[in-house]
Amino acid sequence: MGLVVATKAFFKLMFNRELSDSFQQLVDGKALPAPKTETKAVASQPKPKPAAPPKPSRNDAISLLAALQREARLIDLVSESLGDYSDEQVGAAAREVLEESGKVIHRMFALAPISSAEDGSEISTPESFDPAEYRLTGNVTGEPPFKGQLAHHGWKATKCEVPAWNGSSKANHIVAPVEIEIG
Amino acid sequence: MPSKYVIGIDLGTTNSVVAYAPADVDSKSASIELLQLPQLVAAGTVESLESLPSFVYLATEAETNNQSLDLPWPSEPRTAVGQFARTRSADAPNRSVVSAKSWLCHHKVDRRAPILPFDSPDDVGKISPVEATRQYLAHLAAAWDHKFPDAPIQQQQVVLTVPASFDPVARELTRESAVAAGLPADFVLLEEPQAALYAWLNQQGDDWRKKLSVGNTILVCDVGGGTTDLTLISVEEEAGNLELNRVAVGNHLLVGGDNMDLATAHVVAGKFAEKGTKLNPWQSVSLWHSCRKAKETLMSPSGPETHSISVLGRGSKLIGNTVTTEVNKNEIANMLLDGFFPVCNLNDRPQTQPASGFQEIGLPFESDPGITRHIADFLQRSSSNTESDTQPITPDFVLFNGGVFKAESFQNRLLEVIGSWSSDSPVQPLAGAHDLDCAVAKGACFYAWNKNSGGVRIRGGVGHSYYVGIETAGLAIPGAPRPLKALCVVPFGMEEGTQANIVSNEIGLVVGQPVSFRFFRSNQRQSDQPGELVANWEDQLEESDPLNTTLSAAGLDEGYAAVKFEANITELGMFELWCAAVNTDHRWKLEFNVREDAAEEQR
Repeated sequence: MGLVVATKAFFKLMFNRELSDSFQQLVDGKALPAPKTETKAVASQPKPKPAAPPKPSRNDAISLLAALQREARLIDLVSESLGDYSDEQVGAAAREVLEESGKVIHRMFALAPISSAEDGSEISTPESFDPAEYRLTGNVTGEPPFKGQLAHHGWKATKCEVPAWNGSSKANHIVAPVEIEIG
Repeated sequence: MPSKYVIGIDLGTTNSVVAYAPADVDSKSASIELLQLPQLVAAGTVESLESLPSFVYLATEAETNNQSLDLPWPSEPRTAVGQFARTRSADAPNRSVVSAKSWLCHHKVDRRAPILPFDSPDDVGKISPVEATRQYLAHLAAAWDHKFPDAPIQQQQVVLTVPASFDPVARELTRESAVAAGLPADFVLLEEPQAALYAWLNQQGDDWRKKLSVGNTILVCDVGGGTTDLTLISVEEEAGNLELNRVAVGNHLLVGGDNMDLATAHVVAGKFAEKGTKLNPWQSVSLWHSCRKAKETLMSPSGPETHSISVLGRGSKLIGNTVTTEVNKNEIANMLLDGFFPVCNLNDRPQTQPASGFQEIGLPFESDPGITRHIADFLQRSSSNTESDTQPITPDFVLFNGGVFKAESFQNRLLEVIGSWSSDSPVQPLAGAHDLDCAVAKGACFYAWNKNSGGVRIRGGVGHSYYVGIETAGLAIPGAPRPLKALCVVPFGMEEGTQANIVSNEIGLVVGQPVSFRFFRSNQRQSDQPGELVANWEDQLEESDPLNTTLSAAGLDEGYAAVKFEANITELGMFELWCAAVNTDHRWKLEFNVREDAAEEQR
């Protein structure tokens, strides 16, 4: 029985390119690609790109820098020597860059103030609190809850969605590629 | 297996959005969410966004080989769609496919032929409008299956929206692309402006019955990135209940938000030129983007009078090479208002420029960007053949859709102009929160959900009447074509899932060789009945792709067959025309001939 199946399989694999590719992948321990939907348009083209296999991950910090440069040119701005320019020149460039940087940061982190109170208003900390969430300044004495004036409402990220990196490990540290204009 | 979800897909000219809800008929309202769409935002970088820009980038071999275009699922070998493709469309235009949807309904070209990007060299690996559409939809389908591996899109209930002005051929091609992309074969097509109104109905719940009353007319004005779509819906009464009835749809207008950004960029480029700064092509593209981003600020009545627009330096000398100019906000706002929403009369018509003898085969962009004039024209045409012959229809409500209307001054101007056309009660916006960007997808989703639970439905059937051209018999005159008459095969308003009974004379058809029929449609001749022969139509009929068939001679004794036409509109909103033999059981389907003739015409 096993031999019959094996022989059948042999001829099937021998003469069916797609099947044999799948078999090879199976042997190699790779997941099978999803079955293709056959269309005329696709038939003449090479096979679909496989799903991105897990790659050596890139540090999210690099991905964030790359996004800030790509969408807002923030790296260009902070790398330039400010002393060479007038406030007006810096301002003109910074307005654009800052607006776009803000969009990137808010899209990825959806930043929200921790405290909804107005600057300067009286607020008090909860009975027990995490010092990471409330920083007390000035004349700090006694036991919580602490009362005082709001100096800064704080920020927290309500999400953290930095783009996933799919590129090669060689390009792991590339923040922005070289750009070449072909005439 | 019953579907778990209902899915609405807005396949836009510039952006596509997917909305979904559990197909739970027991719940009181549909809880609609937007599908997050993972896509390349740069080489090797995948981010999930709410919309998928409808752009295809034809990658170079190097980009394909280093796997930087891989997605979380098996994907196209040589192309990327979405945000990355959109970015590339600015800096590598000859490798970027844009506005594939507008090409899909442009019947002067072969839409199955690899013609896009138009005017690009062939070695970039051009693709057809149909293929580009398939790639957008395949990406959306894959994103769905990626998120819901246990509820593949094939098994869900899907509604896909198309412009109300899409003709049967464009619908057919959309269907072809969608099925090839892996959507279920029984997906339903819904007109975009109707979907926008469904989104409003969903948001209103039962309150809509209090806000509208019998006799009201609603104008849905959907201004997208590249197109404008108009639809009239009237509120009627049936058996004591309010009913919504779609009474007219406009022509396919190629004017939209992109035109406004370009117009703004043009003015601002002039300001730079005054100061002696000539922008290079890269800076011009960059300026266009800046103007797009600044549009809302420029149109907002609050804030400072002047606004500075900068184009950043390209290289690493960002500050040093940045150029800036000040623009007067009122100047730009007035230019856009008067250019795109000019004050006009109901009798005004869009201005057509005399056609030049030489014309590039490209998209037929509107020569008049005045959207209000197109609306006036639409209202006049819609009323010219309905019962209210003497009084043109003027809407009581306007439903705004499309990102352009985030600028309230556009809404206000439009209301002001339409209000000036009628002495009756003033026209009002349809009140309530309306998601200008995502309403169409959400409305499509609500439509599907609603279908299961039997809720409110907009009636109206097809938005055009359809005709086949018949050459009249008679003595031939050398050099003169035989007079052509148009046989109405589908009446205006024919409902989905019905068949038209075409009472006509028998038509003799040659068997054994291809025969072709000219095909026409009209959104003005609303009273023609199936079987009616129209002899004079002036500009009321618009020609579409021809229909053809080859009649197999098998089982027929004579060299020709006497036939009559039969027309169906399927449940899914597709158009079918058949020839049925009078004396035998033979039937032949007529198919749209989108290939040869169109291609020949192009040469």
